[in-house]
Amino acid sequence: MNDLILPQGKKANRLKTSSMNNKMVNDYWTDVFNAKAEGKLVCWYEGVAINPLMQAADIRWVHGEAWSALLAARNNEQPAQTAAEHRGYMKELCSYARTHIGCGVLAQNRGVEASGSSFSDALGAGLLGERIPAPDMFISAYPYCSTGQQWDEMLFRLFGKKIPIFNISVPWVWGNKPDAMYLGGSEFNEAKQYMVKQIRACTDWIAQQTGKKYNWDKLSEIMSYTKTAGRLRVEAMELCKAKPAPASFFDWTTSLAPVNFIPGGPAIVDYFEKTKAEIVQRIADNEGGIPQEKYRLFWDGIMNWNKIGWLANKFAAYDANMVAGRYTHMGFWHEFESIDVENPLEGMAVNYLVCPINLSAPLMIEQIIKLCKHYEIEGVVLHAARTCRAFSNPQFLIADAVQKRLGLPVAMIEGDMVDESFYKDEIVNSRVEAMLESIEARKRVGIAA
Amino acid sequence: MSIESILGTLEWTAENSLAAASQWKQASGRRIVGSFPMHFPGEMAHAAGCTPVILQESHEPITVGHGMIYPFYCGFTRSIVDQACKGDYDFLDAIMFGDHCVQVLGAADVVRAKLPNTRVHFYQLISSMSDPWSLGRARETFLNLKEGLEEMIGHSIDDEAMRASIRLFNRNRQMLRKLYEMRRAGDARLTARQMQILVKSSMIMDKAEHNRLLEELLAEFDKTRATAQRGVRVYLSGHFCQAPKTGVLDMIEECGGIVVDDDLYHGQRFISTDVDDSIDPLDALAKWYLERNLKVPCPTRVDQNADWENYLLDAMERSRADGMIVLMAKFCEPHMYYYPEIKEAFEKRGVPHLLIETEHELNSFEALRTRVETFLEVVKRQTAARRIAA
Repeated sequence: MNDLILPQGKKANRLKTSSMNNKMVNDYWTDVFNAKAEGKLVCWYEGVAINPLMQAADIRWVHGEAWSALLAARNNEQPAQTAAEHRGYMKELCSYARTHIGCGVLAQNRGVEASGSSFSDALGAGLLGERIPAPDMFISAYPYCSTGQQWDEMLFRLFGKKIPIFNISVPWVWGNKPDAMYLGGSEFNEAKQYMVKQIRACTDWIAQQTGKKYNWDKLSEIMSYTKTAGRLRVEAMELCKAKPAPASFFDWTTSLAPVNFIPGGPAIVDYFEKTKAEIVQRIADNEGGIPQEKYRLFWDGIMNWNKIGWLANKFAAYDANMVAGRYTHMGFWHEFESIDVENPLEGMAVNYLVCPINLSAPLMIEQIIKLCKHYEIEGVVLHAARTCRAFSNPQFLIADAVQKRLGLPVAMIEGDMVDESFYKDEIVNSRVEAMLESIEARKRVGIAA
Repeated sequence: MSIESILGTLEWTAENSLAAASQWKQASGRRIVGSFPMHFPGEMAHAAGCTPVILQESHEPITVGHGMIYPFYCGFTRSIVDQACKGDYDFLDAIMFGDHCVQVLGAADVVRAKLPNTRVHFYQLISSMSDPWSLGRARETFLNLKEGLEEMIGHSIDDEAMRASIRLFNRNRQMLRKLYEMRRAGDARLTARQMQILVKSSMIMDKAEHNRLLEELLAEFDKTRATAQRGVRVYLSGHFCQAPKTGVLDMIEECGGIVVDDDLYHGQRFISTDVDDSIDPLDALAKWYLERNLKVPCPTRVDQNADWENYLLDAMERSRADGMIVLMAKFCEPHMYYYPEIKEAFEKRGVPHLLIETEHELNSFEALRTRVETFLEVVKRQTAARRIAA
């Protein structure tokens, strides 16, 4: 074992702007907790970022994955997961879904809205899972993964089939025809129009729920902020081509909320302006996202929210900078250029269709190869999330492609999104160390990335 | 042919699906289109002059496939990947998918990568069944499939050929349903293994040949008088894409159960619904797709007009079953999602059920036997107590 790659106790040099993100997240959830008291309708949904549709109609929204991730990141996921387990949901089911449905079970059990304890009080008491308001409606718009649609259906059934639900079916971008390509080809264009039709129908349905005319001007305004935030985020991430990379995949993971579920407005633009400025400053100061960048890695797969800080520090200790990832760099309004703010539905559809799981393997692999080349990646970590088959599905094909086409070593590790029990730290250590040894050996014999 | 000899022929086909399909290809010269369960309209491939074959979980251990798929996937998906990696599908002219379970999507990508010289197409059916556009979208998907088949065969498929295939397939489903009715009524003694053989072989064999054998079989059953069976009347539920292992079915009956009905895919689910042969064939197939989810609700679909748990309770009453055994393929997400609804409804109604999780690698068979024996004993006592109380 080369002593240069043993952990040295170094920690990730997190972006300072991420503290702004924490405040935005806390404020957002506080608004959600207060929704009923303020007379607002609440929509539960999963999957792609359709929140602008609700925001334009003055509805508050609970994104299932975001909520489950927050519970896990703040060690509050257990009560909800236990409630789901007691109702018969098995451990091999999507842990996001189990946690969110568990919140639904808790909401059913309590019968009335939880008392008005604050975010921090609920967090401290381990009762955060009980704080989300019960839904007034569901919208299902899940790309690729069949679990998403069923998750919403089960919530619909859990609440006695009494709460209205709207389903948007997101077609998988597979490519039967020879003209199939990323963002183009006849099948993609047809899928885009099909999505637009459904999203438009969804706005009609939302108008029925609120009893008010749908506010298209408001949607345009929201999408204008969203587009700008998406552009600034992509520009900031692309600057991480610099060596050392001024931020890591873990920073970008922490920064997903503003392009995933935080309301579209000046705050999210301000956040990414400041983030980009910090990146620019770090490049000028030759400051990296980790204390010493010796290896540049790519993360394939979804995040392990229980372990986000732990993993950021683990890789920092290995002097390995996780420069980019499929989860962060291939989704969340990354195709901002396709958004026409005056007529935003088509651009929204495009971004939903090319999210990090909805491309078939050949199209997805091309995008990953591009990212690996752009960021001069030396090794790929594939996080096989035990209960997220949507992300895990193409990983053997991805591993094969980056090894054969780019000569990159890989490390496949197992974990999960929000079920900590699937994570085995020693296995992660040995596989990552083996990959770093391999990178080191390649460097020794002069094979450049 | 005797009942035994007809069943023997069908069993060989059911248990050796790829060899049977390959032999048929040699003998008939017809193209073979492999498809995934559970909603592929074989009628259309048949009308294109091909023989549709639904790909089955193999009995072989999964070996090289584990280099392309994680172990935490259902046995069917892993087995399909394994067979593709081993070259078992090389003789197929095309593989066409039509389902949407996330694990199947993963397998589709691997199969396409492993068979670069085979036409591997995906036609994703809408899985939300009660939307205003569900019927239209299903029709569009079937139209795309038709165009894909036409491109492969080099000419168009005419409507009359489609109707002829629809009639042939309807006849097959009708005869299989007749056999189910006879078993339910006690007029034909057919074990769970035998029922599976009848349905599974229909997924593989040329339909005209299968119909011919079913006609003979029905004629034979008409000649014989079944003796009454004694035991606990059991309803089998679950197991979607893959057939339950016949050893498990045998064991349930060895323990004293009489399987009287099921909603298995290799059972009633596959044969539940006919296609209307009097209207536009694509309209008819789209209608069939939505209707069959109302006939036998499927947890892989979301449908506000269907409740699987209520369907099961009614089906048990219709078949006078005393208890239900739920066969759940390990890692089957749609089933895991829906199971709490069933559990709650059955517990509320006081109808006994037993959940059995099955795996490709059948371990702890004897422990399973103990559980089934205990369950059947409990059901027997409860049924007796109910009769006394009545």
